[in-house]
Amino acid sequence: MAGKVDRIQDPELRASLQAAQDSLRRGDYQDAVRRSAEAFLEMLRRRPELLQGQEGIRRIFMFPRLGVELVVTPGSPPALRYQRDRFSFSEAVTYLEFATEQLLREGM
Amino acid sequence: MKFGLFYELQLPKPYDADQWLPDQEHRIVKEALEQIELADKLGFDYIFIVEHHFLEEYSHSSAPEVFLAAASQRTKNMRLGHGIVLMPPPYNHPARVAERIAMLDLVSDGRVEFGTGESSSEMEMGGFGVRREEKKMMWEEATRECLRMMTEVPYPGYEGAYFAMPARNVIPKPLQKPHPPVWVAASRRETTMVAARLGIGSLGFGFETPEEARERVEEYYRLIREECFPIGKAINPALAVLSVLSCFDSDEEAIAKGLEGAQFFSYSLGYYYSPFTGGSHRPGQVNLYRQFKDTPPEQRWGGLAEWFRGFAGYRGGFGEEPKDEVGRALWRAAQRGGCIGTPEFVRETLLRYEEAHLDVMLFVAQCGARKHEDIMDSLYRFGTKVLPEFKERHEQHRRWRQEQLAPVDYPIVSSI
Repeated sequence: MAGKVDRIQDPELRASLQAAQDSLRRGDYQDAVRRSAEAFLEMLRRRPELLQGQEGIRRIFMFPRLGVELVVTPGSPPALRYQRDRFSFSEAVTYLEFATEQLLREGM
Repeated sequence: MKFGLFYELQLPKPYDADQWLPDQEHRIVKEALEQIELADKLGFDYIFIVEHHFLEEYSHSSAPEVFLAAASQRTKNMRLGHGIVLMPPPYNHPARVAERIAMLDLVSDGRVEFGTGESSSEMEMGGFGVRREEKKMMWEEATRECLRMMTEVPYPGYEGAYFAMPARNVIPKPLQKPHPPVWVAASRRETTMVAARLGIGSLGFGFETPEEARERVEEYYRLIREECFPIGKAINPALAVLSVLSCFDSDEEAIAKGLEGAQFFSYSLGYYYSPFTGGSHRPGQVNLYRQFKDTPPEQRWGGLAEWFRGFAGYRGGFGEEPKDEVGRALWRAAQRGGCIGTPEFVRETLLRYEEAHLDVMLFVAQCGARKHEDIMDSLYRFGTKVLPEFKERHEQHRRWRQEQLAPVDYPIVSSI
């Protein structure tokens, strides 16, 4: 049975999250976190309107604060700041699930 | 589908006083125990109670293991759930958790449900020195090791990122083998999927609709079958969601006796979990109930509403359900919802969750300034007019679940 990641339409973003899933399965949680967070960031770069208004504020607020920070500064593209380089299984799953859900919700 | 009660031990201050009356905390604890005793006799399957610290008025349940020990001696069948134990070691050393869970399992003849979690309010994390960005890693490390302590003789010791201890035999061991069913608090969808991948139950605190529950059930059980790496020695495949219960003979009475309590639940939750109001709470100096009563009813679904109103010049209204999970949960908790009404109304709602193959529905019955007599009355009405037919059909759900879990090789320890 196909997982949710396979339902992402954009081939590049789908490949990123499939790679994140593979990293999770082989125990490379750092890589899973990095690929998941960057797929989400890539969506924001392509669709800057997602950071506008009330929903944009909430989207920033809901980004998991588990060692990766989403930096949003007026006039600059959004960026990621890594607060550490070691992550746990549950943190990696959290970033993977968050990115997958957000991409699917926006029809990516 | 099974049913349970969920307790925060809410205790609003009197509107016109700065502190509680001297007997109020004592009374709320004794009343809650009476409610649980009644629920056990009526056939409710679970009680889950939180561990929270310093969240005045919102939750006075900081030592749930003591409360559950008392409940174990007043009930016969009901499962006794921690909803949840705060697992980061600054709150509870993993060895102390293992010891307490085991002892509660022994005194209750094997009725413990081991709910785990990490906390997220600034009042609690700041009070115990837990850093937000580390709490999930702390939870995972402590939970994994705690389950090893319950099952390994001796526990070989551990040098981890957040705690260390030498080899010891952690005793007593729980009655349920290899250990009691394990759960995790899941206020966000991602955590439900963490639960599936670690083979533990999900205590969903997001007030999910039946449609959302259906989607989560499907994905959760798929992950259990295909992507599960158990954190313990046995898995507990189970999904629970929360709803506010007020069951009376007319909708008007159910709303009159139940809605304000639901709104206070939501308001106080939003107050403590807002990044601004929660962290800047003045201990011992706030009357949250008065603040709530002085707030227009349409804004009583949470302190986060105030935050969004003032943030980035936003001036919009809040007539519609928010799209993010946190705001949405608060908003839903403060609405009438599907379980505030007549037995027929509540039954119709629950049928939709049953069709979605939900395992457990947990009710918030004690909340806000609800009267004890009304809570007892509502529980009795639900327990006699709604619960029996669902109990009769539970065997069908069990068969559905067995089909879902047929390909799973891991041992299962579950009360569903």
